Amino acid sequence: MTSYVSIPQYSNTIDQRYRLIAKKCKSCEIINFPPRQTCLECGSADFQNVKLSGRGRIYTFTIIGRGGAPTEFDDLQNMTGEYAVAIIELEEGPKVVAQLTDCHSNPNEIKIGMEVKAVIRRLYEQERIIRYGYKFKPIADG
Amino acid sequence: MFYEAFQSAINDVDGSIDPKEIKEAWIGSLKTGGAQLGNLAPLLIEQVGLAGMPACSIENACSSSAYAFRYAYMAIKSGICDITLAGGVEKMNDLPRERNRYWLGVSGDVEWERLAGTNFPGVYAMMALRYMHEHGMKRERLAEVAVKNHKNGARNPDAQFRSEISLERALRAPMLAYPLTVFDSCPITDGAAVAILCRGDLASKYTDTPIRVIGSGAASDYLAIHDRKDLTTVAAAQKAADEAYKQAGVKPKEVDLAEVHDCFTIAEIMAYENCGFAGKGKGGELIKNGETEIGGKIPVNAGGGLKSKGHPIGATGVSQIYEVVKQLKGEAREKTRQVKGAEIGLTHSVGGSGGSACVHIFRR
Repeated sequence: MTSYVSIPQYSNTIDQRYRLIAKKCKSCEIINFPPRQTCLECGSADFQNVKLSGRGRIYTFTIIGRGGAPTEFDDLQNMTGEYAVAIIELEEGPKVVAQLTDCHSNPNEIKIGMEVKAVIRRLYEQERIIRYGYKFKPIADG
Repeated sequence: MFYEAFQSAINDVDGSIDPKEIKEAWIGSLKTGGAQLGNLAPLLIEQVGLAGMPACSIENACSSSAYAFRYAYMAIKSGICDITLAGGVEKMNDLPRERNRYWLGVSGDVEWERLAGTNFPGVYAMMALRYMHEHGMKRERLAEVAVKNHKNGARNPDAQFRSEISLERALRAPMLAYPLTVFDSCPITDGAAVAILCRGDLASKYTDTPIRVIGSGAASDYLAIHDRKDLTTVAAAQKAADEAYKQAGVKPKEVDLAEVHDCFTIAEIMAYENCGFAGKGKGGELIKNGETEIGGKIPVNAGGGLKSKGHPIGATGVSQIYEVVKQLKGEAREKTRQVKGAEIGLTHSVGGSGGSACVHIFRR
């Protein structure tokens, strides 16, 4: 049982999930990601597309304990057990919530401020369609 | 459950009240686990024998019934009604575990937050870790909140968990979402709560010790945590509290006790700050120094809080108000739990991770 994001609704966000296309406010120039109807900073609705680099730093994180994941991620937990989720502060400014990947889900190995970059991974499956999107992996040696 | 709470509220009126004197009702619920209960308020009102009365369901996540109370209060202030009812109900334990995990955690951003793999403990855990990082607070402070609330809950006959826990046990409990353990989290609870509100100048007809609502503040914030600038505070709660204090004309230091929304222990620490009991980043010191214990400078969650009393989502807001009203009347059911001489009380309710918040201030 899963919270429902339809296939068309998901498809509409492919630009964000695969290519990190953000909305830059034409009025105050801050970058909104994920896209919003109105700018987070000034409320303007006038945007232009910009592509993000996918690089950023861990702002905060957690390790989702066994058996506690949202039901959409049961498959993931069956395979990996605990997994790490973080808020990433992207170098262009916006923050995103994403899983950490290609690293141990160990609080002693993950640090606030650590550099990470976006990679495309399988997120979850709904209506027999695998939903892909970004996760972040540590950049080796800073 | 709702019927029991309703009867208890009616019986609790010092004088006597004919239920038919109630003119309108607002009832908070997260619709008990998506159990196909649309239009819930008319059903509940009909079941307590008041079919026909206008009744409205309020859903604002965990702050649903705090908002129900606010609207019941506003209806009286507007002059439309003399007597109103605010209530809340949630039945969470008879849902399969999978359904609970599906249903809970949709009170924040679903598309970009939950579907990245976070649950609600995870969201508060990320707030906790950032708070600890920015303010240098230790995990012990979180565990101390759990220990205090269990101690208070052990003295509350209406609490779900009536047992004390040791600091050691809280710290060593299994991790739910690092750095939060199972003892940092509120439980899954069944519960209902009902409050009856009355126009101030008519209250003496029903009681010799009316408790007055002197402030009602509410606010909202960006739903997704990644859209908020500061994760170490609940901005909506801060705004709601500021507004409630302004209306009430009282200062935080005049408050004698507070029931705050401790869905996770970190939320209580942030609530100290948002309610003005501690400065920014100083919430941990308050619990460390025992100032929020019963007998301390500002007792918080004398009823056990969500942590120990339980968190039946839609009922929690009014259940906090019940506790404060009982305390202000000097009628906390067990004497060891009574905050002596309390005259001003505050309730602080937060929906989701801070998307909505509602604060009320009461005076005896």
